[in-house]
Amino acid sequence: MHMISLRTSASGRSLLCAVTLLYLLVPGAGTVQAQSNTYQDPLTFVSWGGAYTRSQMLAFVYPFERRFNTRVNVLDYHGGLEEVRDQVSSLNVKWDVIDLEPADALRGCEEGLLQPLDPTLLKKSPDGKSLQEDFFPEAIQKCAVGTVVWSTVIAYDRQQFEGERAPESLKDFFDTERFPGPRGMRRTPKANLEWALISDGVPADQVYSVLETDEGLQRAFSVLDRLKPNIVWWNSGAQAPRLLEAGRVVMTTAYNGRVYDAMAQRNPGLQIIWDHQIWSYDLLGIPRHTRNQEQAEQFLRFATSSEQLAEQARHIPYGPVRHSALAQVDRALRPHLPTEPDNFANALKINAAWWAEHFEQINIRFEEWLERPVRVPRALPH
Amino acid sequence: MPRLAGGLCFFIALSICSDPAVGDTGAEIEALKQRIEALEQQRQTAQDEGLADKQRATQASEKDEETPVKLGGALRFNYFNGEHSDDLENRYGDTGLDLFRLNVNGEFDRLFFSAEYRFYRYMNTIHHGYVGYQLSDHSEIQGGITRVPFGLLPYGAHNFWFGVPYYLGLADDYDSGIKYQYSRDGWDTQLAFFKNAELGNAGDLERYSYDPVTTGATANQESNTVNARLTYTVNPQGSCSYELGLSGQAGQLYNADTAEDGDHWAAATHLDTHCGRWNFQLQAATYEYNPKNPAGVSTETITLGAFADSYEIAAKGHVYVANVAYNLPVNWPGIQLLTCYNDFSMLDKQINGFDDSYINTTGCLINAGPTYTYVDIIRGKNMPYIGTSDADNVLASGGGNRWETRFNINFGIYW
Repeated sequence: MHMISLRTSASGRSLLCAVTLLYLLVPGAGTVQAQSNTYQDPLTFVSWGGAYTRSQMLAFVYPFERRFNTRVNVLDYHGGLEEVRDQVSSLNVKWDVIDLEPADALRGCEEGLLQPLDPTLLKKSPDGKSLQEDFFPEAIQKCAVGTVVWSTVIAYDRQQFEGERAPESLKDFFDTERFPGPRGMRRTPKANLEWALISDGVPADQVYSVLETDEGLQRAFSVLDRLKPNIVWWNSGAQAPRLLEAGRVVMTTAYNGRVYDAMAQRNPGLQIIWDHQIWSYDLLGIPRHTRNQEQAEQFLRFATSSEQLAEQARHIPYGPVRHSALAQVDRALRPHLPTEPDNFANALKINAAWWAEHFEQINIRFEEWLERPVRVPRALPH
Repeated sequence: MPRLAGGLCFFIALSICSDPAVGDTGAEIEALKQRIEALEQQRQTAQDEGLADKQRATQASEKDEETPVKLGGALRFNYFNGEHSDDLENRYGDTGLDLFRLNVNGEFDRLFFSAEYRFYRYMNTIHHGYVGYQLSDHSEIQGGITRVPFGLLPYGAHNFWFGVPYYLGLADDYDSGIKYQYSRDGWDTQLAFFKNAELGNAGDLERYSYDPVTTGATANQESNTVNARLTYTVNPQGSCSYELGLSGQAGQLYNADTAEDGDHWAAATHLDTHCGRWNFQLQAATYEYNPKNPAGVSTETITLGAFADSYEIAAKGHVYVANVAYNLPVNWPGIQLLTCYNDFSMLDKQINGFDDSYINTTGCLINAGPTYTYVDIIRGKNMPYIGTSDADNVLASGGGNRWETRFNINFGIYW
């Protein structure tokens, strides 16, 4: 395109000819151009897909592209650190900014997979508060910065309980006698084990100390055992409301934002049970050895600004982790936020540090547990 | 693609150098912009088409790599001890090859097939072999040597040794014919017509499942048999599901000596309950053979044969099954399944003076990776191959009419 910007007078045309032909004929000229393009690769941002990514596109990806005249590629993933580990260990880092769960952010930092961040790169609060005052506790970590509070809740479709008593509590989710039918659950031990114990009578504030013991862990798996024949597992957040809408399950665990999106877009009959919601927050981190370090930091600074976080809450009801952003959220949206006092009454915060330490070990047991059938198989080999 | 891009640039360069009509700078730039955009568009289209071709080729290649035919098999060894003889007990039992089998299954669009061939120490035989067609999402049809739809499926037992129905040809039976199946909303209907038993040769005892044969005291064979099996599953997705079923079969019983047709029929009702980790199975069945034997040959018994052997059974009887199994919630490394069971079944013979037959098996199945091991304690009364009783008549008039024991371990690796 630089050819076009040349003046095309007679002499200009000659020059244009010469430059163009030189470009084509001189060996290596094209290569230089290609290399130069490599260093200007677009930023790659990795997130969770569906309505959540849509809210990020509208809140800070498109605005970032416009503001800085650059391109951001957005990819979906299902969490975890395996891919990041592969990329960092091979020095072939293709992801520049990652949307992380707290346990992955902590573990990724401990393992040296994420780049330590200088908090001063963050944008200051518009009301003059310090970053520590403005951000929720733990939202600024060594290698990642929080963005939104989200929660895992129970959801159901009112149509499936027409004329009947609808479920109201976490206990109802585990009660297949009173509420028969399949349940959707995310294919992970996180939150499921906590809920299993709470439904079995363990006080919410003792969940992690009980899980710490073999007996406690066994107790949680035993509760899940009883539910197992009824469980339909989901992986991506978008699947959960779809399971409900398709009638494949009568209740499902789901991210509150995904349910809200399905309610707003397609099915107003979907309902959220906030009882014992398990809340957490997402963070942005930069993998070590990214080739777009400077641009990635610029993106992270932009995406975690108060204005952009408030903007994101307009597109998905996840509470911003900055007080200055929360103040900008429309009042009409607040009843749908996990942090609304009525919704938050007996909420449990997921213990990211505990999961960072125990996830891999428990996940092995969880996957083995998944493989073991609960029911006596119909056809045994003969 | 680089060649195309190079050509494009070269064309642009030549256009710039050779077009004398280009005068006004703005118009010239605009014309060039448009020309470049047009060429870029062409290049992109070509690139997209190339990519699409590549994707199509990749997909075609992946499809080719997805083999529609799957091969499998099993190798099994057996250990047994029991009251067969003092020698056996003094040796603390015997072990040896039980079975080597090969399976092939496949599907081509709506067409599918399945076959299994078995090699035993004493015989080789086809287990099943059929071709099927998926008529709709809920129905299919199979033709060939296929499982007879009758009673509790697939085996009516959890253990390796099976129960009374199997030894009467009323469970895990395979015959040669055509079968239609329709399943929807908890209902399952199977209708079948079997021309004859699996081999089409009633004198051949080298077969897997028990049928009337012509090599014993009587020379009857089943022919032109119709089967119907209807089940309804209550609460299939709930923590407890209940399959209720009715089955019936009826057909000709051709006698090779008199060249006359008798008949045979059987009916059964069953309940198969899965409740959490428990499985309860109940079945009541009745059967009757009405052979046209030569004068002087008793019609109180019928000769059945399989596994290169034959024995007599009572021509009329009621069969009862009561099985229970529990899937243990083990968390041992490498163990995927530990199911323990007690399977009981009996034959209430409807012939005066015949002693009833019983079998009770207590055991466990252990699944670790590709291996499955059945550990069974089998107690039998008037049952073939349990203890020292004469196998030829135990299911007919009876044997020692006492309980005998067999301890059996069957270890198999499946692939």
